[in-house]
Amino acid sequence: MFKLFTNMMKEEWRIHSTIFGSLSFALFPVMIFGIAFMGSFLLPLFRTVIPRGDLSTIVHALFLLLGIMVGAFGLIGQEAMNRRFGQASLLAYSAKSLPISVQEIFCTFVVKDTVYYFFLWVLPFVGGFAIASPFIGIPLLLPALLLLTLTLAFLTGLSVVFFLSTVYARSKPALGIILALILIAGAGLYLFAGINIALFFPPLMLFYSFSWVLLGLTCAVILILSAVAILLFTSEYADTTKRYDSALSPLAQRLSFFPYPPLAAKDLIDLSRSGSFIGQTIFSFLIPLGLLWFLLSVLTRLLPPGGVLLLFAILTGVIASTMYTWITAFDSYNSYTCLPVSVRALLTSKMCSFAMLQLIPFVLIIVVSLLTRGVAYLIPALVLCLSVSFFSLAITVWLTGLSPGVMVYDAKVLVTYLFVLGIALIVLIALMFVNPDYALVSVLLFLPGWFFVRQGYAKWDILDQPTF
Amino acid sequence: MEKSPGIIEALGLFKQYGDVAAVNNVSLSVGKGELFGLLGPNGSGKTTMIKMLTGQIRSDGGSATVLGLDVEKDPIGIRELVGIIPEQETPPSFLTSTEYLDFVGEVRHIANVEKKADWWFDFLDFSDKRDVLCKDLSRGTRQKLMFTQAFLHKPVLALIDEPLINFDPIMQHKVKDYLAEYVRSGNTIFLSTHILQIAEEICTGFAILHKGKLLHTGTVAELKQRDQHLDDFFFSLVQKESHV
Ligand SMILES: Nc1ncnc2c1ncn2[C@@H]1O[C@H](COP(=O)(O)OP(=O)(O)O)[C@@H](O)[C@H]1O
Ligand SMILES: [Mg+2]
Repeated sequence: MFKLFTNMMKEEWRIHSTIFGSLSFALFPVMIFGIAFMGSFLLPLFRTVIPRGDLSTIVHALFLLLGIMVGAFGLIGQEAMNRRFGQASLLAYSAKSLPISVQEIFCTFVVKDTVYYFFLWVLPFVGGFAIASPFIGIPLLLPALLLLTLTLAFLTGLSVVFFLSTVYARSKPALGIILALILIAGAGLYLFAGINIALFFPPLMLFYSFSWVLLGLTCAVILILSAVAILLFTSEYADTTKRYDSALSPLAQRLSFFPYPPLAAKDLIDLSRSGSFIGQTIFSFLIPLGLLWFLLSVLTRLLPPGGVLLLFAILTGVIASTMYTWITAFDSYNSYTCLPVSVRALLTSKMCSFAMLQLIPFVLIIVVSLLTRGVAYLIPALVLCLSVSFFSLAITVWLTGLSPGVMVYDAKVLVTYLFVLGIALIVLIALMFVNPDYALVSVLLFLPGWFFVRQGYAKWDILDQPTF
Repeated sequence: MEKSPGIIEALGLFKQYGDVAAVNNVSLSVGKGELFGLLGPNGSGKTTMIKMLTGQIRSDGGSATVLGLDVEKDPIGIRELVGIIPEQETPPSFLTSTEYLDFVGEVRHIANVEKKADWWFDFLDFSDKRDVLCKDLSRGTRQKLMFTQAFLHKPVLALIDEPLINFDPIMQHKVKDYLAEYVRSGNTIFLSTHILQIAEEICTGFAILHKGKLLHTGTVAELKQRDQHLDDFFFSLVQKESHV
């Protein structure tokens, strides 16, 4: 088991580091450290606007979110990873060829994810804060506590996703029922008792009032969720081979208005057969956004009317832009090199498929604005959401070409992405706080977006593709 | 055999990977109707050579034309015309065999793909795998699919990288016959392999690569005239080279 663990760790490191070179990848945690360190100095500033309690809630929720995203990528993305790195190369999925039980491998996989991302994200973040804390008059005990509670928040996210995704693999209705129950319970408590369920998030409670019992309880939640996930886990590869009716040509015909109908048809088939259409929509889109809504609703009294909805629209746009990773996860350019398909054509086609997927955030924004009686801001919210999404897509295409899922861990790429997107978002947020209708200005983002896409074409439409 | 120039013309091709010169100043010429074998041990640069000739990677020196098109300037144009079997068979995971061939048909604008695909399913004996996802296919079946994909549009030139390696002897025999027949009807094939016996049986011309360098080009007929076997010839060449 330990050997398996160390091998998986090496593998994870190898995957990331061979892609950008060890240095660029090793810089990633350094960068997180730097951001946290510098961000800490803004704290006194923030605190005049946002109460400290809300700030801690936000940070904990962010790490919960991180756990969810990492977990979703590890599991939902398993097919994708498999494809990219070859069937045999990922130990986690070679259960058949090793004399180890599937559960054991999965268990090791979970532990590996935990340790790996702890060092990649959690430790550098809290480290940066800890080093900065003497300068801003925060007792060192706080970062120490934060290290514990943020780790637990991250682990809770991870274990919740592992749990939900194994439930999903076993029975889709069961997942639906569980999610519905949580939603009803949360909404019910909030509406009838005025209790915000987020305050019962165990790591957060622990942060506010540390006690050993609570610590035990928090760990128990994580352990039970993971244990159930591990027990429920089955390897899909044990299944007998499925057979499918031919769907490509009919689909391509129906998509004939696309620039490259067969490529678009293939994207759709990939999404639906891999199960990632529903899986990703739930785990990488709806759950994170549900969480974000919670966070933002905390800010209601601080923001101008409509502010929460518009801010939510912006964040939805940013998260919606990651749908580009859903459709690029299945093929590396390698599988096209024996065909007359250029990188430019592939990029164009992927962007069109992406546009099709934007129906999901479009509907979500409509639903949310109806539910929150924000219809007055519906149009600016929609424009904002889609403009931000396409702008963020354009930066992604420019920086990462056909491999966004792996390139984000290149520190240089991530910094550039955050910087360019950050500038645009700050301008937009400032504008929309002045007047919600100014949010419509965001359509102008299509201009620089177009420029970035052009840059992306020039950058990636070359013979030597990075081979992952 | 008389060569009509121009199907493949490589001049001083060069490719560097780190400290390794994967292909080191290789010049070749392949004429119409040849079944040209690119021979060499593992790691000698055969795959790299095919990738440069089909515009999949950029060369670090030299130049090449394929069917009159420059590999640097018009890689997509070349890939439209030729058929390629890559060394690693990577058909898309979530398409079935039939769908993959439909996909290739759509991308290459081939008429009547279904009928053509049917012929291949029958010929290579994998009809029972039509509706199975590519990720669930065995290596041999994937190789059959990749073989089909390369010849579906009846290209005038096919560049095929170790195409027989996952086939059983019966299938190898069948495919060898197909290739020999294919060039007899005026097409050209550029085949890489480290299995010398195959080359000796079906190739007309051949080239021997070793550590990226071209050691020899010639015809199988010449060797036969000298009553020499390809493997003896090959080993003596490679040994000589290693002593230098
Ligand atoms: N993408 C690559 N990166 C680094 N080295 C490579 C790459 N591709 C091939 N090589 C090296 O180039 C040499 C030739 O490889 P290859 O063309 O695959 O040989 P062959 O097909 O004859 O077995 C080998 O030494 C191999 O290690
Ligand atoms: Mg090779």
